[in-house]
Amino acid sequence: MAERLTEKNVRDIATYAHIGLTDDELTQMTVDLNNIIATLEPITHFDLDGVEPTFHPIGGLHNVMREDVVEESFTQEQALANAPQQQDGSFLIPAILGGGDQ
Amino acid sequence: MAYSTDMGVREIHEGIAAKEFSAREIAQANFEHIAKADEEVHAYLELTEEAAYAAADKVDAAVADGTFEKMGPLAGVPVAFKDNMNMEGTHTTCSSKMLENYVSPYTATCVSRLIEAGGLPLGKLNMDEFAFGSSTETSAFGPTKNPWDLSRVPGGSSGGSAAAAAAGMACITLGSDTGGSIRQPASFCGVVGVKPTYGMVSRYGVVAFGSSLDQVGPFTRSVEDAAYAMDALCGFDPHDCTSQHFTPHFVDALSEGVEGMKVGIVPSFMEDPGLTAEVKEKVYEAASKLEAAGAELVEVELPHADAAISAYYVLGPCEAFSNLARFDSVRYGYCDASHKDLNGRYEGSRAGGFGMEAKRRIMLGSYLLSSGVYEKYYYPAQQVRRLITQDYVQAYEKCDVILIPTSPRAAFQFGEIGDPVEMHLSDIYTVSINIAGNGGMSVPCGLGSESGLPIGVQLVSPQFKDVNMFRAAAALEAAYGAAPVAPAFKAGE
Repeated sequence: MAERLTEKNVRDIATYAHIGLTDDELTQMTVDLNNIIATLEPITHFDLDGVEPTFHPIGGLHNVMREDVVEESFTQEQALANAPQQQDGSFLIPAILGGGDQ
Repeated sequence: MAYSTDMGVREIHEGIAAKEFSAREIAQANFEHIAKADEEVHAYLELTEEAAYAAADKVDAAVADGTFEKMGPLAGVPVAFKDNMNMEGTHTTCSSKMLENYVSPYTATCVSRLIEAGGLPLGKLNMDEFAFGSSTETSAFGPTKNPWDLSRVPGGSSGGSAAAAAAGMACITLGSDTGGSIRQPASFCGVVGVKPTYGMVSRYGVVAFGSSLDQVGPFTRSVEDAAYAMDALCGFDPHDCTSQHFTPHFVDALSEGVEGMKVGIVPSFMEDPGLTAEVKEKVYEAASKLEAAGAELVEVELPHADAAISAYYVLGPCEAFSNLARFDSVRYGYCDASHKDLNGRYEGSRAGGFGMEAKRRIMLGSYLLSSGVYEKYYYPAQQVRRLITQDYVQAYEKCDVILIPTSPRAAFQFGEIGDPVEMHLSDIYTVSINIAGNGGMSVPCGLGSESGLPIGVQLVSPQFKDVNMFRAAAALEAAYGAAPVAPAFKAGE
């Protein structure tokens, strides 16, 4: 039986995943995650000694590199078109180093 | 003959060639049909009328100057796309508030291949939010309804794509399948749904969910139409390094028949307690139809298949957690700008932008990849993945294609399954195929003896031998007939 997650564990997971949860959502999420994790238990019961993991379903793949040449790409305007906030041709975010709000 | 929205690829092609109707008339008839039918079904999130008429005008110009036959079989065929596929200038929302206002700056390869083949792009289709779900109930923009019974779900996550094909609101629609998201809704809505072998179709421009599992494929009302779609979709794309140089000829393969083909039956799958009697009946009935057409039935075992669902719910959320980290409210997506610090803005934006199922999967992935937990679940799941893949390799030493249920049951009612764990079990017969990377397709086999609803069976092919399942599917279609448009949505009703 897996250890059950506490609400504090789930709050920590939420913080790591950058997802804000209300207290009610936290309670429900804790129940849901524990229920789901319980269904994952079979994975821990196999004899997997010496079994190589498969991270990819088809074999023989390798990374593909193209020539390092400049190709046509988005314009600055296109790249910024979906930005929630922008300023002077850049994405605008809250200040992370101090010395101003944004 | 006048155009009707029930028509398939071949009829459309012949009708245009014979100047019985124009591509513009096709586009117009489809938008008129959608205006009425989609009031009830809610498959479409956005219509792309301008693009459809522009494409139609190109086809009609080709007819006028005698170059129509050069355009290929899909010229003038109405097509539509799941809303996780970018099409330049359209909203690509993934049915999420997170991307409600996102406008695609480019076009996905699968979308451009159908448009370049002369398809008429009708619009973008509803789905479970970020493809997390099996009912389309998690869409932030309201559920799609099953055209066969509006009180029931169309399945998911590509529910809009399946419902649109079933209601005659497009001839070919595209979906994506990470654990069953094309095949299960195809079964629920009584249409053909194909998840090709991993690597067969480019995913470039399709919003990623589980990158080692995702694959794009078509929904259609006939096996032949699916083959036409696959002929256009498959092949290498320099923008997706998992795409392969395979370009089989699906339409040509359909006439090969199943004489001498070995069809694998998995007895242990048929004894699963969750499998309804009517689905079981259909699988055995389909097996006997294939046998009657000249195929040989053999029993095969997939001993690790019962671990597939747990492996999937480890691997899927881990990959989703990683893929959905990009939604940071900086470059695009929903932004809660009320926070004055960056972490607060991340948390607020992701809290406000994602629905509950998306949050559950992201958090599950976050937990499963954490130190100590990774060793307990993620690493073993990847080892189990090898065992499942080997099972299939061994099974295909005895057969050319495997026949199993698509879904354990016919379409369920809205709200009938509220528990996330129970919902995840909808995928029990489909996930192992994504884990092993094989091709799989759901083929409609008429209506269930108890529910009176459409039921599909699933054909599974070895990797890159997807033509095998198409040959068997063609034999089933010869026995059952092509999938009809759902009765209430037939042209002229």
